Amino acid sequence: MVAPALILVILVTLWPVAQSFYNSLFDYRLNDPSRSDRFLSSNVDLENYANQYFYLSRDFETLAADAPDPEAADAVSEIQAGIEGYHNELLEMDGLSEQYEEVESMLASFTAIGDRTLKYAEVDNEWAESYKAFLTESSEELESFVTTADDEAFTTNAANVAGTLLMVENTVIESNFIGLKNYSRYLQDGRMWQSLYNTLIFTVVSVGAELILGLAIAILINRTFTGRGIVRASVLIPWAIPTAVAAMMWKFLYDGQTGIVSHYFEQFSLISDASVLLSTATGGMFSVIFADVWKTTPYMALLLLAGLQTIPQGLYEAAEVDGAGKWQQFWKVTLPLLKSAILVALLFRTLDAFRVFDLIFVLTGGGPANATESISIYAYITLFSQQNFGAGSVLSVIVFVSVAIISTLFIKFIGSDLFAGKTR
Amino acid sequence: MNKRAGIGFYIFLVVFVFFVMFPFIWVFLTSIKPPGEIFNNFNWFSSDPSVASYVNAWNNRPLGRYMLNSFMISSITTIIAIAFASVAAYALTRLPIRFKGLILGVILAASMFPQIAIISPIYNFITSVGLRNSYMGLVIPYITISLPLSIWILATFFQKIPWELEESAKLDGATPFQTFRKIIFPLAAPGVFTTGILVFIAAWNEYLFALTINTDDNWRTVPVGISLYQSQFNIPWGDISAATVIVTIPIVILVLIFQRRIVAGLTSGSVKE
Repeated sequence: MVAPALILVILVTLWPVAQSFYNSLFDYRLNDPSRSDRFLSSNVDLENYANQYFYLSRDFETLAADAPDPEAADAVSEIQAGIEGYHNELLEMDGLSEQYEEVESMLASFTAIGDRTLKYAEVDNEWAESYKAFLTESSEELESFVTTADDEAFTTNAANVAGTLLMVENTVIESNFIGLKNYSRYLQDGRMWQSLYNTLIFTVVSVGAELILGLAIAILINRTFTGRGIVRASVLIPWAIPTAVAAMMWKFLYDGQTGIVSHYFEQFSLISDASVLLSTATGGMFSVIFADVWKTTPYMALLLLAGLQTIPQGLYEAAEVDGAGKWQQFWKVTLPLLKSAILVALLFRTLDAFRVFDLIFVLTGGGPANATESISIYAYITLFSQQNFGAGSVLSVIVFVSVAIISTLFIKFIGSDLFAGKTR
Repeated sequence: MNKRAGIGFYIFLVVFVFFVMFPFIWVFLTSIKPPGEIFNNFNWFSSDPSVASYVNAWNNRPLGRYMLNSFMISSITTIIAIAFASVAAYALTRLPIRFKGLILGVILAASMFPQIAIISPIYNFITSVGLRNSYMGLVIPYITISLPLSIWILATFFQKIPWELEESAKLDGATPFQTFRKIIFPLAAPGVFTTGILVFIAAWNEYLFALTINTDDNWRTVPVGISLYQSQFNIPWGDISAATVIVTIPIVILVLIFQRRIVAGLTSGSVKE
C-alpha cells in the first residue's frame, strides 16, 4: 500500500536528482543546436544534415560550372568528391541508409521530426572527427577563392557554399560528455563561492535570529491570556502568504523613494540615506534577512510554543522549591526539555533558508552586484537565463550536496527522535 | 504555565501584533490612496481614499485568472497528494511493513529536497510531454513538495488513533482496506483535513516551478503574477498594493477559520507527545 506513494516520491525526486547529476557531466546548452542534448558518442543530426546536404549537392553543380579557371574547378570537384565519399561512408553505416531515407521523405513532406531516435544517428567517432575537419578545411579553401577570384557569380556562389559547409559541419555533433570539467570550473568560480557564502550568511544569521526571537516570544506568550486567537492569527498570516507576495511588499517598504521602512530608518538615523537598503551590499543583505525574520519568526515561535506546552508545570515548581531562579530554570529545565523541539525546528528552518530562492529573487534579484545572490538563484540564472543546463546542473548538485550534508549533521544530533512514535 | 497576564504583557502583545501586521497595514493604506499620492508623501491616511488602484490592478493584469489558476492547481495537487498519502501513511503506521524507518527516511529526505536540484530534469520532462502552460504541468512537480509533506503529517495523526478499534474490526472480519475506509478514515478525517489545508497553502505559495514552467501570462499563478506586475521602467506600487490586498484576503479568511487546525498540523511533526 505504500508502494504507489513511494514510487511517485522516487519518480519525482530521486530520479530528477540523478538526472541533474548526469546532466552536469555534459556541456549541455539548450540554446546551442549542437549541444542541445547529451551525447555520449558522436552523432549526426540527420534532419538538418539531410536538409543542408540537399542544397549542397545542388550548389556544387553550378559552382563547378561557374569556375573561372581549371584550377578552381579542380578544387571544387575535389571537395565535392570528398564530401560524397564521407556521405557514402555515412550511409554504409549500420542501418543508416534506411533511416536517412525516412528522414528525407519526412523532409520532403515538410514534417518536423520529433522522434529523437530518428533525428539523431550515432556515428563512428573517428569518422565524425575527420569529416568535421574536412568540412572546415574545405570551407576555408572556398573562402580563399572568394577573395582571390573576381568573377562575381562564382564568388557569391562560393561564399554561399562555404557557409553551407559550415552548417553541415554543425550537424555532425561530437560527444559533449566532459566528465567532471564543469565541476572543476565551478569550484574555481568566484561567483559560485560568493553565492555560497551569501547563502551561508543568510542562513546562519536569519535562522539564528529567528531562533532567539522565536524562543523569547514563545516563552512570553506561554500563558493564559485573553485574545490568544488574535495573536495566533496575526502570527499565522505572515507564514501563510506566498513568499513572493511578502517579498513584493517588503520591496515596497524598502524602496528608496516611497518606502516607509527606509524613510523611518533614515529619520531615526539608522541609515544615512533612504536608498541604502536596496542599493548597497550590506543594506541588501540586511533587507533580505530582516524580511525573512519577519516572515518566519512567528512560525518558529509556534513550533517552540508547542514544545513548551509539553513541559510539565510541576518541574518548575520543584525547581522553585529547590531555590532555582528564573534564569536557572530556563537553562536547567526549559532548554534541556525543549532540545529536541528546537533541533527539529532548526533542521526544517535551516534547510528552508539554505535553498532560499523566491524571497531574494523577488526582493533584490540577487543584487546589488550579486551581493545577495544565493546559490539557488545563481543556479536558476545559469539554467534558465543562460540556458546552460550542463553548468547549471553542477550548481544544482552543489545545492543538493550541501543540503544533504546539513541534514546528515542535524539528524546525527537529533537521532531517532525524529521518527519517534511513527514506527512502532 | 499559568502565569497571570499583567498590563505590561498586554502592551507587549499589542506592540508585537502591530509589528507583525505593520506591512499589511501599510500596504492596505497605500492601496486606497489615489495613485499620485503614493509618491509624494508618507502620510498614513489619505485625505481622499479611492479604489483606483484596485480597478487598475484588476484590469491591467489578469489577476482573476491568476487566482483561478492558483486555486485549480492547488486543489488538484491537494486531492492527489491526500489520496496517495493517506493510504501510504496508514500502511506505514499500522501494517507490519519491513524497512519502515528507511521508507520514512526517504520520505523525509524527499521533503527536504532543494527544488533547484530537480527543476531542470522536471522542466525537460514537462516540455517533452507538452505540459508547459497547463495545470498538470505544475501539479506534477508539486507532488514532490506535497506528497512527502502529507505523508509525514498524516502519519502523526494516524498514530493517535487507538488500535483497539482496528482489532475489533478485524475480529468482525473486515479486510485492511475496509478497516481503513470504515474505521480509520472517519476518525482520521480531521487530521486529513488539516493536512489538506497545509498542502493547499504550500502549493498556493510555490514560486520556482510556477515561474519556469508556466511562462504564459494566462497560466501564471498568483505569486508569479504579483512579482511580475512591475515593468522594466516603472513599478506601479499602487496596483501592486491593491493586488497584494486582493490575493491576501482569501488566505486571511482561510487562516482565521482554520487557525487551530493549522497550528495542530504545523506542530504535529515536530513535537513529541
